[in-house]
Amino acid sequence: MKHNLFIIIVALLIASIGIISIYSSTYQKEGKLWQEIYKRQILWVILGFVCFLLVSNMDYRRLWDWTYFLYAACLFLLFLVFVLGVIRLGAQRWLKFAWFNFQPSEFAKICMAIFLARYFSKKSVHDISLLSYKFGIFRGIILPFIIVVIPVGLIIEQPDLGSGLMIVFLFMAMLYLTNVKLRYIIIFLVIALLPLPFMWHFLRDYQKERLLVFLNPNIDPLGAGYTVIQSKIAIGSGMFFGKGWLSGTQGQLHFLPESHTDFIFSAFAEEWGFFGCVVLLLLYYLLVQRGLSIAKRTNDDFGKLLAYGVSLMLGIQVFINVAMNMGLAPVVGVPLPLMSYGGSSVLVTFISLGILTSIERKRAVF
Amino acid sequence: MIRQIIVTFFIIFIFLALVFGLLNLQVFHGTNYRQLSEKNCIRLFPQKGSRGKIIDRDGNIIVANRLSYDVLILPQDAKQRETSLVKLGQLLEVDYKDLKKAYREGLVSVSVPVTVVRNINYKKAIALEELKFELPGVMIQPNPVRHYIYGGLACHILGYLNEIDRWRLTKLEDYGYKTKDIVGFGGVEEKYDYYLRQEEGGLSVEVDHRGRQVRLLGFRPPLNGKDVELTIDLKVQQIVENKLGKRKGSVVLMDAFTGEIIAMASSPGFNPEVFIEKQNSAISDLFKDKDSPLINRAISSAYPPGSIFKAIVALAALEERKINSSTTYICQGKVLVGKKEFACWSTHGPQDLNLAIAHSCNTYFYKTGLLLGGDEIYDYAYKFGLGKSTGFDLSYEVSGLLPSPLWKRLNKFQKWFDGDTANFSIGQGDLLATPLQMTRMMAVFANDGFLVTPHIIRSIAGKDPASSVRRNYRLNIKSGNLNIVKQGLRSVVNFSSGTGNVLSGLGVEVSGKTGTAQSPPGLAHAWFVGYFPYNGSKVVMCVFLEHGGPGYYSCVVAKEIIGEIIKYTKEGRFNET
Repeated sequence: MKHNLFIIIVALLIASIGIISIYSSTYQKEGKLWQEIYKRQILWVILGFVCFLLVSNMDYRRLWDWTYFLYAACLFLLFLVFVLGVIRLGAQRWLKFAWFNFQPSEFAKICMAIFLARYFSKKSVHDISLLSYKFGIFRGIILPFIIVVIPVGLIIEQPDLGSGLMIVFLFMAMLYLTNVKLRYIIIFLVIALLPLPFMWHFLRDYQKERLLVFLNPNIDPLGAGYTVIQSKIAIGSGMFFGKGWLSGTQGQLHFLPESHTDFIFSAFAEEWGFFGCVVLLLLYYLLVQRGLSIAKRTNDDFGKLLAYGVSLMLGIQVFINVAMNMGLAPVVGVPLPLMSYGGSSVLVTFISLGILTSIERKRAVF
Repeated sequence: MIRQIIVTFFIIFIFLALVFGLLNLQVFHGTNYRQLSEKNCIRLFPQKGSRGKIIDRDGNIIVANRLSYDVLILPQDAKQRETSLVKLGQLLEVDYKDLKKAYREGLVSVSVPVTVVRNINYKKAIALEELKFELPGVMIQPNPVRHYIYGGLACHILGYLNEIDRWRLTKLEDYGYKTKDIVGFGGVEEKYDYYLRQEEGGLSVEVDHRGRQVRLLGFRPPLNGKDVELTIDLKVQQIVENKLGKRKGSVVLMDAFTGEIIAMASSPGFNPEVFIEKQNSAISDLFKDKDSPLINRAISSAYPPGSIFKAIVALAALEERKINSSTTYICQGKVLVGKKEFACWSTHGPQDLNLAIAHSCNTYFYKTGLLLGGDEIYDYAYKFGLGKSTGFDLSYEVSGLLPSPLWKRLNKFQKWFDGDTANFSIGQGDLLATPLQMTRMMAVFANDGFLVTPHIIRSIAGKDPASSVRRNYRLNIKSGNLNIVKQGLRSVVNFSSGTGNVLSGLGVEVSGKTGTAQSPPGLAHAWFVGYFPYNGSKVVMCVFLEHGGPGYYSCVVAKEIIGEIIKYTKEGRFNET
């Protein structure tokens, strides 16, 4: 229980920081919708908390049984996005439910973590040793890759390059953490990276632009480079102690686009400075570290891999988002977990943390 | 197991990388980015004050400011820029291409308005303002500009305005002047620029990403320049300039007791408005003109004074007891000095001092001068303020040239001959003086022995800046001697044979001395310097016509001026005493 308490307290702290940042970056905008946005986020956090409690009290082993169902549901939802999806900001990523929009790609992340964890922790029926020791290149890499690449392809087609790449990262991380031979992984990497230059033609125009702008934001300071430049200015101008809550000019005066979603970190950094950022990153680090230590202590292979997958995904998402805010990574749509406005992301993150807690709770059983 | 440890370290590594990235951005380059963020959201809107007015002694405004209207285009609001520019061109009768060029060259950022046309008149500004809704993004901005109400009147006293040049900038940088500042050139505008100049104020405004005002951060009200009050009488100045007309020359009227300049004209003149309106061809014509219209002939160029100088020689000889009022010489039309013959302009016969002054007899003054010697004449001329600046308020005053035996030895490496003394005593030779110096000299006779300091500034913002330093010097001259010369100066006008006889019968008692200064090549310079009662005081007047012929012509101009002034004082606000 002690560990559950730690995770949920840190998560709620981060979520609260997120809410005050969302409030700060939207309270000056006109329109009732903007004024209400932080309230919606509070609602999502409460819902997320409820999900966390439900999942953490559930036996995570049930996920093992649900794996194929979850995978199928995930594919179904992704297909549904193509048919019924809501188009927003030029992308078709959302499904409209009763009163909110749901983003299946967020859901896909956790599903893939569960699926891969199960796939690599299958045991031999003869001597209950892990099958992954015996995996050749086909069963070790190609088969799981095919399974992963179907949802990833669907997600990238939406287009949501960020979430797609997150799942590929997850896949790589899981491969590395299981017993698949290192040389297979290297061969796979080489084969995957070789056609990358040809992939250029398959990228959308705006994605190409973003990549070019990442290399040199000044090529188009008022167009595609604008976000990166403004975001860097926002972070940098926070200096050591920041401009103070509700006093950030970049976020408040709308120089910074998307200051309540993907670029919430910049809005936060502007107002709280280096000091605030270090505290925030420390909180994230504690969360990820806790996840990793749960994974390390778990003897159940499924639980171990799942915990690793979930916590690594959390860490990598934080890294990509913050690096993107600082102009160190190309602008891909990766939300900052627990802070960015958006129900799906908040819910999925809380569910992941719930799974972690559940693994920790059941550890004693094995 | 090793892979799990590597993953743990990997997480630590990426978080440390983020912290270092932030450290770089926020701590090392923080100040830089802070400035950028301020530049993003803070806009300065300058507001101009107006330059101080220049007014005459009665409070009539000579130079004021009017509003000129500039047409600006705010790029972010100008949706159909091309059509707007075409319409603007038609309205203002300006070529569309010029507008486009001005727009392209002036464009800085979408939220900074670009000036496309300057200085349109009031009617057009109104017309544009009415069409505001058809021309989105077009703005009219009023700007105070200098307005010379009377055009070229008193142009040399006032000076003109122009963009600061390098020389002035290096001199004035420490006083807060900047490049592109508009400063005075010449006259009061230059000399008192520091008082006249306005201080720019402005608003600093916080704007959002579309350049819309969010809130006012600060406001500094613009400060208007201080008003400068001159001793000039606008009406007299107008009379003087009218009568001087197109003739080359200068007229100075000065209060004999206080040194206040009542009028000061120099011709040819210029219209300071051409510098405001940036009429480049007119400006370059001004600079190229051989008659140098930008020169104030009253103070900035020196001429041989000719016979005017005889008044000093007469007084010097009386003071030094070389002659007395009854000393008589016979004029035979020429005098032999050494081996050289010096001519008189006529054959006057026997002349005492009174007649000699009235007739401006050269013979009398050759002889008197030779009795005095070059050094004595120099001493007296120096006492009367020749050969040095008068201490006048305006810049670019020259001190003229007062020769002496020592000066000749030092500068020309020659001995001073009696011939030099003879030339010197009739105001010829190397002697050069400005009309203002001659006016000041004559004032000594008018006010019975005081050398005044001529000045043109009465007050700046209600205070006279120089009253404590300006004083009149008493020259130690016996009043008896002074009266003898004054008698002579009176005779110049009174005697029917006097050289200034045209000035009699004006209804006021005019005294003075004419001069016809030889200045080859070209005609002689015509001088008249005299004084007459005016407005309860005495006014010294100098009429100088450059290459204008004999002094008689100056007397004619002087007569017209005095006649007009009398008419003005009779019908005007003043009562003549």
